[in-house]
Amino acid sequence: MSKQPLIGRRSWRPSWPVSTDKVLKRRRYFGTKRSVLRLSGSYNPKTLQRELVLTDKKPTFWLLGLLLILILPIAASNERFFALFGIICIYAAINVMWTLIIGTAGLQSFATLATVGVGAYGAAYLSITYGVPWPAMLVIGLMLGALMGFLISLPARRLDGLYYALLTLGLSEFCRNFVTQSDQLGGKFNGALFGVDRIVPSDMMTTWLGQALLYVSAFALLLAALAVFRWVNGGRLGLLLRTSATNKEDEAFASAIGINIQRARTWVFIVASAALGAIGAFYAAYIGGTSLQVFSIDLLLLMLAMIVIGGLGRAEGAVLGTIIVVGITQWFTEWGPWRIVLVGVLALLSVLYTRNGIFGLKVQLSEIRQRRQALHRAALTSRYAAFLPQQAPDILDKSIIVGRTFERELRDRLKGWITPALIEEHRKKPLGQHSDHLERILNYFRQGPIPDKYAVYCEEPFQSYRVVALSGMPGVPPRVVDDKVYPSLDEAYHAVFLRRVNDLRTS
Amino acid sequence: MATTTITGYTDKVSVAPGGEITFHISVENAESAHVEIVRLIHGDEHPDGPGFIEEVIASSISGDHPVSKQFVDVGNAVVIDDPAERLALTGPMTLHAYIYPTTPAKGRQVILGRFSLTETAGYALGINGEGRLTFWVGDGSDTDEITSPVPLMHHTWYFVSASYDPRSGKALLHQEAVVGPYNGRLGKVAPFDHRSSVEQKLRIKPKSATTPFMWAAAANAAPIRGAYKDFVYNGKIDRSGVFDRALTLDEMKAVHAGQQLSPGPLAFWDTAEGYGPEGIDDVVRDTTASGLNGRGVQRPVRAMTGYNWSGKHDDWRVAPEEYGAIAFHDDAVVDCEWEPTVVWTVPEGTRSGAYAARVTIGDVEDHITFFIRPVRATAPILYLMPTNSYLAYANEMIVHHVPVGQAILAHPAVLTEAEADYFQDPRFGRSTYDHHSDGAGVCFASWKRPILNMRPKWRSSAIGTTWQFPRDLSLIAWLESQGYDYDVATDHDLSEQGIDLLKQYSVVLTGSHPEYWHEAGLNDLEDYLAEGGRLMYLGGNGFYWVISYRDGEPELMEVRKGEAGMRAWQSEPGEYYHQTSAERGGIWRNRARPPQKLTGVGFTTQGFDECHPYVRMPDSYHKSVAWIFDGVEGEVFGDFGLALGGAAGLETERYDLELGTPPHTKLLASSTSWSDNYAGVVEDILFNHPGTLGTQSPTVRADMTYFTTAHNGGVFSTGSIAWMSALPCFKYTNNVSQIMKNVLDAFSKPGTLPGGAWDQEEKSWT
Repeated sequence: MSKQPLIGRRSWRPSWPVSTDKVLKRRRYFGTKRSVLRLSGSYNPKTLQRELVLTDKKPTFWLLGLLLILILPIAASNERFFALFGIICIYAAINVMWTLIIGTAGLQSFATLATVGVGAYGAAYLSITYGVPWPAMLVIGLMLGALMGFLISLPARRLDGLYYALLTLGLSEFCRNFVTQSDQLGGKFNGALFGVDRIVPSDMMTTWLGQALLYVSAFALLLAALAVFRWVNGGRLGLLLRTSATNKEDEAFASAIGINIQRARTWVFIVASAALGAIGAFYAAYIGGTSLQVFSIDLLLLMLAMIVIGGLGRAEGAVLGTIIVVGITQWFTEWGPWRIVLVGVLALLSVLYTRNGIFGLKVQLSEIRQRRQALHRAALTSRYAAFLPQQAPDILDKSIIVGRTFERELRDRLKGWITPALIEEHRKKPLGQHSDHLERILNYFRQGPIPDKYAVYCEEPFQSYRVVALSGMPGVPPRVVDDKVYPSLDEAYHAVFLRRVNDLRTS
Repeated sequence: MATTTITGYTDKVSVAPGGEITFHISVENAESAHVEIVRLIHGDEHPDGPGFIEEVIASSISGDHPVSKQFVDVGNAVVIDDPAERLALTGPMTLHAYIYPTTPAKGRQVILGRFSLTETAGYALGINGEGRLTFWVGDGSDTDEITSPVPLMHHTWYFVSASYDPRSGKALLHQEAVVGPYNGRLGKVAPFDHRSSVEQKLRIKPKSATTPFMWAAAANAAPIRGAYKDFVYNGKIDRSGVFDRALTLDEMKAVHAGQQLSPGPLAFWDTAEGYGPEGIDDVVRDTTASGLNGRGVQRPVRAMTGYNWSGKHDDWRVAPEEYGAIAFHDDAVVDCEWEPTVVWTVPEGTRSGAYAARVTIGDVEDHITFFIRPVRATAPILYLMPTNSYLAYANEMIVHHVPVGQAILAHPAVLTEAEADYFQDPRFGRSTYDHHSDGAGVCFASWKRPILNMRPKWRSSAIGTTWQFPRDLSLIAWLESQGYDYDVATDHDLSEQGIDLLKQYSVVLTGSHPEYWHEAGLNDLEDYLAEGGRLMYLGGNGFYWVISYRDGEPELMEVRKGEAGMRAWQSEPGEYYHQTSAERGGIWRNRARPPQKLTGVGFTTQGFDECHPYVRMPDSYHKSVAWIFDGVEGEVFGDFGLALGGAAGLETERYDLELGTPPHTKLLASSTSWSDNYAGVVEDILFNHPGTLGTQSPTVRADMTYFTTAHNGGVFSTGSIAWMSALPCFKYTNNVSQIMKNVLDAFSKPGTLPGGAWDQEEKSWT
């Protein structure tokens, strides 16, 4: 037998020692109940010493990630960087809102870019025609988006899954055709509108300041989108929808406890669409015009790839997916069509091998690790009495370990005593003094833990009995183990015995 | 499909003709139920016996009555009496308490506060869903909280305090442990540092709740059901108080150090106030001028070791200041407090007995049991039904909670539908054989709730036979079958009337398992026997546990299980003394009153696999006692019975001169050679060793004894619970019945007893 390697790990996790003499001043974000850092006190299970553990690392990662996105282009101070990250921010904002629709509301809508386009064209048209300034364009986009959202949400009440997806996909095509055939919307110029009020005036765009300002405005758009996501997904609407998210039974359950899913979905859809409309208007003001590109199927599919690669249903997935896909398509322009192939391959890999994009990988990997660990341990277990040394750190009550060791030896001994003669002895006389071996076997059975312990259920006194298993949990009734009915208590006792013998033998 | 269920209880255990008894009935899924009064004659449905027998009595309440579903407000609390609403605080405030949480991880719990969940209003200090100390405020639509960074450790004493000033919004929450060598589960060597002080701004200002200030619960309410307690706390609470200003951290520490602050508190509850020589009441006293006293609901347990328990004393009477803790349980029920459904005035002339209101709706039925006692004796025979012991076992559910239960009982549990249903929602409380949800033993048992095993046909899941009341009905059936005139009274009537009850009768019969006795009852029975009374002790494991009642509350019994005895739980160290009577709990043997001193026999073994016959012992052929066996053929008797086939078994007793069996006692019969499931009782075992079980231990047996007392008194003891279940076999014609008849005929006649003439020195030539 090879030497057992020592167990015990020292892996890093963010924790701090605590001075219990001092008052912990817990600060909260202005106007909210959220603490600045979610530090949680605990006792180190190895030393019982107090420590503060960062329980929720997500806010820290968000903060660092967003800072990076903000600072990188400014530090680079390069026109190409500004443009690239500006587009990343805008697409990421769109994707975050789309995530709200697909993830939170659970609606398979592809009308996302159509809504953005309606906001863009509407706001651009009014800006060109009536000289509406860009801040007002945002409001117009917001209203148009909300209207779109309301209209598109109507068929969702009746159409499911694929049919709804097709309908919304068709909407983009309809919008594109509408623009192409409409003179006012630049149909003559293949749908291109120019001369919209810009966020940063054209003349400033040649300066570093102008480029930086424009970029910061796009970054602010992303922040706003994330705020909306947090407000909806983390708020009451999100909570209601999560109750009913996973399947049809959950929907039935949710409506049974008084949640109006349809209404919650519609609200999420309208809010997200309003935001998308505003993003469209922002986009028009950002580039000083708009084009039919927003209604194109290829862009829509590219954005879908972003969401799929990042991980559906998560804001961080939408942002990271956008960075990857936009990075590939906009930065490596010299690769030509191979960029698109690469994105396609990434999306395919993501669909084939990950359960939920990059951000689903953590859970997936830890599950794979657990499975491998379980297999590995199962292969090793026969060498050890009951538990492997590496299982010990997870078992708080060490008496479980020695108890299992004892039980294993006991069971091996008892198993050897079970013979047809012994079973017959019990059948003849289930109660009372038995042979030494049978007594010891019975005592082992009778002392077992309550969960799943067999008992007899009396349907009709002195007429019909069944075998049941106790739950061991207050509030949970015993369960009937089979459909056999026994006419006498002695027969029921023997049926319990046979089941226990079988359990012992097969263990 | 909705199922109709019926259950209920009576307001008192027994009633005399001319008196009133109230039935509190709850029915689910029906509006009307048919009620009849029945006299119960036999319960056990074993095919070898007569089966269930009841006799419908014409009564004024016979007929249909409107019924409804009634709810139970489960769990302990202390409700503060605050008519001037002084604790309806919305300004600066501080709460402080000593706490010993036993299940901090079970979910939200309130320690002190005036908080209404339905109104989302008020303030409370408690424990949040993660087991951390928390202070909540509610403004009528929203709540905010400040939470300790570190979870509370169970079974550890803490000083906890929260202060809050709505003007600045600043809240301060402080906790520190009080760990000594005695007062908690862990000592100082476990290097926990429990201190924490945290400060944070709260975003809302509290609105006053309209519900009262409570310890250990928040107020909640629901349609149909009405108001009830929620977020009920498990654990102990000691001295606590409220300030109407926000204390600083230093001031909180000063409160913990016992210093008087100025200005002083709005309320300070000295939980050790009011302890008297006769016991402790349910009032929690405010020692400030505010006089904001509180009252315990569902009887919180008092006389518990406090945060400052020195370990020097094991008795609250010696050092009450160390016993200020009150234990709260989220599943405690001592009174369902249901609306009365029917009131019956028992007509004059109604014979005494075991009765029930039989409530039926279609084929659903329930028997709500009670007893009718005589106004004065109508016969020379009194059947004293052991209602104390019925209470001790009320709603017992051992097989669901005790892993070794089936090993003790020697066979798989035998459940009934009623029990399986009740286990799903044990809302009528548990027995003194069970534990509260935090693992503490249940020490209060009450009559004012539905008691599932006080039903005539009930069979114990533990052993599959009858137990207590349903078994004791076999004696009523036998008395009826033999044509005896007899009266029925209960332990509760003995406690009410004292020895005067017994003195009216020539002979007193016990139940099959009169295990729980309060001191006055034991004294009365002993005095009665010493003055010429006669006792037929027809059971096993009797006169065993100490119990007590508070004066004026005969429906609520206290038991503290001490350091010996066959016990389902044991009181925590230092908590052996009853709060209702200021006496030491435990077994009477450990208070120098072994049952042998009273009846000749005392508890020696228990087992539940088989029952056995008795074999006559040589003494039984003595002329002074041979009359007891007139008409009995052979050496062996009682080899039959509705309880596992024998008259000797289940829980049995032995003759033992060292434990006080009177020296002139005759050992009439004995039953031996039992299985290893019959184990010697633990109070006999000093060192445990192989050989204390039935096949090897000589103390594993059942003894039948007889001795005389002064003034023509006598005591006949059968020493076995199963005895009574043998009476109905073979249509009441059997040798057990014959022996009973011989003794009862002799005991019920006044004057000298048979066999008294043979009292000279023995000279035998053979």
